[in-house]
Amino acid sequence: MKFPRPRRILLYVLLIFFAFMYVLPFWTCITTSLKTEKDVINTVPIEPAWPTLMPWMDALGIMERPLLNSFIFTLFATIFSCFIGSINGYVLSKIRFKGSEMIFLFFTIGIFIPYQSVLIPLLLTMSRLRLYNSIQGLILVHTVYGIPICTLLFRNFYGEIPDTLIMAAKTDGAGTWTIYRRIVLPLSSAPFVVAGVFQFTSIWNDFLFGLVLARGSEALPASVALANLKGTTTAFWNVQMAGALWYALPVVIVYLILGKYLIKGYMAGAVKG
Amino acid sequence: MKENLIAFSILLPSILSVGYFVYASIGWNVIASISDWKGLEPSYTIIGFNHYAELFHDPVFWISLKNNLLLILLFVPASVLLGLFLAILLDMKVRGEGIFRTIYLLPFALSFVITASLWAWMYDPKTGVINILLEKIGLGFLKSGWVTDSSIAMYCVILALTWQFSGYTMLIFLAGIRSIPESQIMAAEVDGAYGFNLYRRIIIPQLKPSALAAFVILMVFTLKGFDFIYVLTGGGPGGWSTFVLPLEMFRETFTMTHFAYGAAIATVLFVIVMAVVLPYLYFSFRRKGE
Repeated sequence: MKFPRPRRILLYVLLIFFAFMYVLPFWTCITTSLKTEKDVINTVPIEPAWPTLMPWMDALGIMERPLLNSFIFTLFATIFSCFIGSINGYVLSKIRFKGSEMIFLFFTIGIFIPYQSVLIPLLLTMSRLRLYNSIQGLILVHTVYGIPICTLLFRNFYGEIPDTLIMAAKTDGAGTWTIYRRIVLPLSSAPFVVAGVFQFTSIWNDFLFGLVLARGSEALPASVALANLKGTTTAFWNVQMAGALWYALPVVIVYLILGKYLIKGYMAGAVKG
Repeated sequence: MKENLIAFSILLPSILSVGYFVYASIGWNVIASISDWKGLEPSYTIIGFNHYAELFHDPVFWISLKNNLLLILLFVPASVLLGLFLAILLDMKVRGEGIFRTIYLLPFALSFVITASLWAWMYDPKTGVINILLEKIGLGFLKSGWVTDSSIAMYCVILALTWQFSGYTMLIFLAGIRSIPESQIMAAEVDGAYGFNLYRRIIIPQLKPSALAAFVILMVFTLKGFDFIYVLTGGGPGGWSTFVLPLEMFRETFTMTHFAYGAAIATVLFVIVMAVVLPYLYFSFRRKGE
């Protein structure tokens, strides 16, 4: 829509005003993370001071192991849930069988449940499997709870692959598995990026499962480690902000490079049933 | 027939694991809620619905429910309206649309633990940026304790959450606006609908499905959202001023080890969320079937 000139100026004033409001918390976070404790108290938060990297070093010292933990379980759970979702999505969209809609609904409801309602049984299950407080346990949990959304993402995408392609392969005698490997999988780079980016960021960002299932140190995720920094006297605001930035870094990089795929993931979760 | 079997056997591991970790676990949680399980050792002695009756007399439960309702009444509409406003702004053939969109959506991509940490720093009464900026621009009388003041802490939470979520609702509305056929908009322009009039008469009425999706998703979030408030205020100050149901469930279960009671709160939460989600899923499945 084109507006006359004075209104267009107002438009940009509004856009920039909101951009300022959205950036302000990040800006004060960055400036604070580069200040000494003294400067944090004596200077205005939005004004940069003579920069020091000490808070970043201190924060890394505390967050190093948790960041590594998060990276490992996020990576594996992302890969597993995407592959499982891809196979499920293929079966649910390309093989017409009785009850396929019901099974799809069965998975879809799993996207929306409040995790509080499975938390207590989950804790018991994980300690019986001796997976409480372990990286393997977090991989299992994030994989299983990722299956519903991944199945939905892949099923919606595979709906766009023409059935004739599958039929042709079938008449050539290709089995279900061969069709998946030779035809469907090579066409799947787009949904793998969408689901992969979506899963990576949501698992990386998770807090609740990490808090309940990994309260020790061997498997502590970065989210819980960062939350533990808050309110401690050892980590002042500058160290906390640096810790937040370390933890944010992978997601920010993914968001800036692959943002448009992440948006597709957000939209699929929102609009489609 | 053979294909049915193949399809089913491929899906079986997923059906079993989701069946166990979602459906059976929800059932198990309901059973735990009618047991007498207190303390770290699980107990399966069924004592009936006592815990649900107790909920009615538990002031913290009512405070939590009230705060959840406050979120639904204030945070959800605020995010939906701000998102709609931003989407309309961005739809006006803006130069650098991609940059603005990237900025507005960034908070939503980040973990709640991060955004809550940022806001805790912003709200800090002594050295936080909000109070210091207010002082600098001569509005020092507006300085406040923010999240450390129990009378306004919940509103501070709502403001920060609106900041985090409005980029997401913007995205939903922007997609909705972009899916309206160009020809319709041009026809309306020929008829003299222009500028905000065009939005009011032609575009906004067609955004009902987007608005519905935004409302449902945000409502589900407000009901099950835990991380943000847990990190920003921990449910306080003054005891329970920002408690919500997920926090109350967590406190009863893992801090007090009242597992059965926590399970009852989780069940109530589950029922409320499903009352919002199931009708929505039903309608979107039916719409697609048509």
